[in-house]
Amino acid sequence: MDERNNLEEFVITRVFDAPRDLVWKAFTEPQRMKEWWGPKGVTIIESKMDLRPGRSYHYAMRTPDGNTIWGKFVYREITPPSRMVFVSSFSDEAGGVTRHPMAPNWPLEMLSTFLFEEESGKTRFTVRWSPLNATEEERAAFVAGHASMQQGWGGTLDKLAAYLA
Amino acid sequence: MTADRLSATFAALADPTRRAILARLALGETSVTELAKPFDMSAPAVSKHLKVLERAGLIARGREAQWRPARLEAGPLKDVAKWIEQYRRFWEESLDRLDDYLRKIQAREKKRGRKK
Repeated sequence: MDERNNLEEFVITRVFDAPRDLVWKAFTEPQRMKEWWGPKGVTIIESKMDLRPGRSYHYAMRTPDGNTIWGKFVYREITPPSRMVFVSSFSDEAGGVTRHPMAPNWPLEMLSTFLFEEESGKTRFTVRWSPLNATEEERAAFVAGHASMQQGWGGTLDKLAAYLA
Repeated sequence: MTADRLSATFAALADPTRRAILARLALGETSVTELAKPFDMSAPAVSKHLKVLERAGLIARGREAQWRPARLEAGPLKDVAKWIEQYRRFWEESLDRLDDYLRKIQAREKKRGRKK
């Protein structure tokens, strides 16, 4: 897929050498989420999940430099073991929706979709994300970031990438 | 960079004409007259957009009174790219950890299976 056609969507795909049910469990059981969620060096110190549409997963990460970052998924659709749609955001201890700690113009909420597909005993996992209810400025922040990361704005701006590199 | 400066950057980027102007400037510095050509706009209209872009720190203007060529400033866009890069890294590293986790528990189950 050419992601340049849709700069308002961010996509990551990974194939795991594991059955789909197990990958699904890793995302839908809070104890398992604690084992792997978050980048290298981060520890999940809170992991509360109510896996139902309208309910949420609320978590806290302790970063290597000692900060605590809260985040939240509010589930919209749960179709085991293949698909999950939710709204993700930064959060606080009380479960509110908060801004990106480093980026005030970052879209407040992201519509996120997880796809789990069986592929001859393995599992193809895809996450797609796009800004939700974003203002023009927030969308521009997302698109500009995405575009410059992808080296070139929608193909017409290939030279920009070289310039920015 | 301050939050105010960032707000100005995104307000500037929100306009499609200004994004197109940045695209043109990515090819190299140029004058207002040259910039106005492909956009079917008057030079004063282009100048207005350039002022917004300049305030946002996205471009710089030359000092020559007559010509004042505009050129792209990479800084603010790099900051924005950094955030997306952070998200990408968040996910890539989480998925690396998930891969390790899945291997570990499957190996454990296999071992248990053999003992039975």
